Amino acid sequence: MITLVNSRNEEQQLAEENLKGEMRPIVKVVNLSKSVGTSEGTLTILEGINLEINESDSVAIVGASGSGKTTLLSLMAGLDVPSTGQVFLANDEITAMTEEERARVRGRRVGFVFQSFQLLGSLTALENVMLPAELKGDADAAGRACELMERVGLGHRLQHYPRQLSGGEQQRVAIARAFASDAEILFADEPTGNLDTRTGERVIDLVFDLNREFGTTLILVTHDGRLADRCDQSISLDSGAIIEVRG
Amino acid sequence: MNIRLALRLLWRDWRAGELTLLLAALVIAVGTVTTITLFVDRLQQALLLESSSFLAADKVISTDQPLPSVIPEKARELGLQHAETIQFVSMVFTGERAQFTAVKAVDDNYPLRGTLITSLTPFTGGAVATGGPDRGTVWMDSRLFPALDIEPGTALEIGEAMLDADKVLIKEPDRGGGFSNAAPRVMMHLDDVEGTEVVQPGSRITYQYLFAGDSRVMAVFEEWVRPQLRQGERIYGVREGAEGIGNALERAERFLLLGSLLGVVLAGVAIALAAQRYANRHFDHVAILKTLGATPAAVDSIFIQIFVVLGVLSTILGALVGYTTQSGIAAILSPYIPVELPAAGPRPVILGLVTGFVCLLSYALPPLLRLRNSQPVRVIRRDLDAQPVSQTLSFVVAVVGTIGLMVWYSGDVRLTAMVFSGAVAAVAVLGIAAYFLLRSGRLIGMQAGSAWRLALAGMQKRGRENALHIMVFAIAIMLLLMLYLVRTALIDEWRAQLPEDAPNHFALNIAPDDVSSIEQMFTENNIRAQPLFSMVRGRIQMVNGESARERDRSLRGEGGPRRGPRSTSQRNLTWARDLPDDNVVIEGEWWSSNHVGDAEVSLESDFAWNNGLSVGDELIFNIEDRELPVTVSNIRRVAWDNMQPNFYIIFSPGSLAEFPSTYMTSFYLHGDQKLLLNDLLRAHPTMSVLEVDALIEQIQNIIEQVTLAIELVLILIMISGALVLLASIEASMDERFKQHGILRTLGASRRLVMGSLVIEFAALGLFAGLLATLGAEISVFMLETQVFELGYQPNITLWLLGPIVGTLLIGIVGTLATRKVVSTPPSTVLRELG
Repeated sequence: MITLVNSRNEEQQLAEENLKGEMRPIVKVVNLSKSVGTSEGTLTILEGINLEINESDSVAIVGASGSGKTTLLSLMAGLDVPSTGQVFLANDEITAMTEEERARVRGRRVGFVFQSFQLLGSLTALENVMLPAELKGDADAAGRACELMERVGLGHRLQHYPRQLSGGEQQRVAIARAFASDAEILFADEPTGNLDTRTGERVIDLVFDLNREFGTTLILVTHDGRLADRCDQSISLDSGAIIEVRG
Repeated sequence: MNIRLALRLLWRDWRAGELTLLLAALVIAVGTVTTITLFVDRLQQALLLESSSFLAADKVISTDQPLPSVIPEKARELGLQHAETIQFVSMVFTGERAQFTAVKAVDDNYPLRGTLITSLTPFTGGAVATGGPDRGTVWMDSRLFPALDIEPGTALEIGEAMLDADKVLIKEPDRGGGFSNAAPRVMMHLDDVEGTEVVQPGSRITYQYLFAGDSRVMAVFEEWVRPQLRQGERIYGVREGAEGIGNALERAERFLLLGSLLGVVLAGVAIALAAQRYANRHFDHVAILKTLGATPAAVDSIFIQIFVVLGVLSTILGALVGYTTQSGIAAILSPYIPVELPAAGPRPVILGLVTGFVCLLSYALPPLLRLRNSQPVRVIRRDLDAQPVSQTLSFVVAVVGTIGLMVWYSGDVRLTAMVFSGAVAAVAVLGIAAYFLLRSGRLIGMQAGSAWRLALAGMQKRGRENALHIMVFAIAIMLLLMLYLVRTALIDEWRAQLPEDAPNHFALNIAPDDVSSIEQMFTENNIRAQPLFSMVRGRIQMVNGESARERDRSLRGEGGPRRGPRSTSQRNLTWARDLPDDNVVIEGEWWSSNHVGDAEVSLESDFAWNNGLSVGDELIFNIEDRELPVTVSNIRRVAWDNMQPNFYIIFSPGSLAEFPSTYMTSFYLHGDQKLLLNDLLRAHPTMSVLEVDALIEQIQNIIEQVTLAIELVLILIMISGALVLLASIEASMDERFKQHGILRTLGASRRLVMGSLVIEFAALGLFAGLLATLGAEISVFMLETQVFELGYQPNITLWLLGPIVGTLLIGIVGTLATRKVVSTPPSTVLRELG
């Protein structure tokens, strides 16, 4: 469940309630703002965002282009730093961390699926999936990666390079890679944006299946209403502010 | 961070072809340096040995009285080899004839370096002899046999001793050139000297003490012995002893050195470009790695490990390539090299290995270090560029690295400063010029057809990158042109100095009565001889009214800087109407060809300086006990190494007319004409012939071999240059792929795209060629006049050659390297580049 919190007091209250209940917030965003300097002055991308996302939920962030949804995702995932405000992943305040510490949190807790797949072109499909485990120093990176490739239906294309795969296949490799790190939270940025409708649906089915299977929290950015409807909750953004929360 | 992961990533990069260019640039940098330095090192060692043989020792103490026995004893104590010789002039008699000879008596250890070659017949054959003549025998120059009209095996008288002339002395290592050794040689055993009773108190005798051994021990000995030496005694080594050939070789070494410096700079640029491309292509990789949990420290660790492995691999590979190449060069050249090349020392290999790492640190590390700054958010927003590591820092690192390497190689700060400041100036000027050329190019190009418009608009769009391209191309072409020009100038100069048919024999002491018969013999046998110079012996008696001897004593005093031939000694004097070839008047004026009137004299510059003489001085010469007053009208610089008759003192026409003179000339004798000398000398017993054919052949061989080495170095540098071009083109490949992929998707024909590529590269080549020519012309002027001391001549053809070579080379290489832009389907291009 998502809870929108509007003040410090309410935040404390909510935290106390959560302690009492079963639900545990895995992502917490407090008074988050992001502005960038441009030649025409300061541009505010996000302002005063407060939200909490509970463990194992699936949440869609929707909005028009330029509404700030991708920026919100990148801040929650610790890929970028806010101008003001805090982000907590589990109990870690990632906004107070150095890049070094944030990277460790990403490696331990977070998986990503991107619109443009972001596979390394010089690595085979299998090697791309092995990478998160290799970065952790996992000795059985290959075994685990093979299992996941089988799971996403690409067991026969282990040694293919990204350029030899279709868009849908590339995205499936990216999904396998996202789950290879045993992430608690999966961030997906327009995961079907580069795919046709049918392929997109298959990819999304896969994401939801795996999400259930691994008990992962899914946070995805999309402008596809049908996709948003499949999530437990959805948050609508407009001009950098939350305008609606459903579910 | 796990080394295995770094190795896996390295292997994957290699497999994907990401490292080929970087590795090739590194291997070539290390390979070039190792090849050149290994070869130069072996050549230097060989030449040191070769020049040692010119002295028959490593060090010689020359004196006119015997050395105290403590000195040879000290040498023995230190473990140095030691030999003694005594030299004096003496008449040698056979039954009816007598000859004035230069006698050299040697002990059993002589020679310590080099070999004696003897034969059983004059002028022909020859085999290496072990040691000098036995007691009771002498070896003599070929020319003495016809002059004395004897055959080998005949007994002759030297002073009171009868000795057996049993062998012909064909070659003596420390004979040297020059006319001081013009008298024919008689070599005898040191123990026989006493029996001749020639050596008496007051006799003019030169004692030489020869030493050889380990250079460090020798340095200790030299330091110990110097303070013990008395006035008139000197110790000298190979550097002072082999000045003749030294000049040409020193220039060659400088050229090779310059070549390796330029090679490193070129390879450095290639490495920087390749590393830059590698880094650019890995920004996204690093951003992805970071989203997957790689910390900046882990990124550093991965790339530093990759960097170290790459460095170790490329330096070992480069050193191997260098070692193999130089072994190949040495094997090819060995028939031409007069001495065996000694094994190379460890220094060149270390130099190559260090070069690899310094190049990596200076040129490749800064772009790689930028990778850690790639932000993970780049995976979502690709427009974010990595914050560069301070550009100043990378620039400083590259400059310090390059200068450090240059100074280390050359040990020559001046050459380094010149090459480096030239390169910096060239980069600045070429960069600015390239930028403005591009701007003007667009204005002209807008009027033309669409392939032109596309090409020139493209050039304008990537203005900064293309200015950099032009600059890099221009530097590569400039360095090649420069090296080519200097090489040509050097080789031409050497060839001009010692042409194939350069005179290789000197005939001296020709009596006036013999002139016509000698000329006739030359004509009959088709021997090309130089004109005859008249020669008179005389010395300077007074300088500006002061006794020359008194003046000499006060000028030279104790240990002053003035040395060399004294004005008061007897000298060969000649006269000439015209300034001899290779002589340059540096002060005063040469007399007119129809000069009449008071006697004037021209002096060689070192002789004049060492004896404190200058233009306008009034001299009185003593010739045949008569006085001849003259005025110094000019000072000349003489090319002593040109193997032509050269004189310290030349008189104006008519000045020496009233003195009885002998004549001298020089002539070229082919190897199979040597026996003619027998007839020539039998017919003219007073005449002396000095054979320098072996010496000239040796010098020509060395020059040939050095020329070959220089050409090989040029090829190596050209490979480096080509690599720079490729690296530079490759660096812009992704951008081109993308732009032309989009254009082709929008309907541009392959022909249009190909046409625009050809035009773009040809135009870049033309600009680069023009700038390179300008840069090369200026740099060559500086190098030839300042470093190689050659005469500079502006090169008009270069202005045609540079732009044409630039246009063709860059046009062809660029188009070939980018043709896959056209041959790859646009969909593939766009999919790959995302």
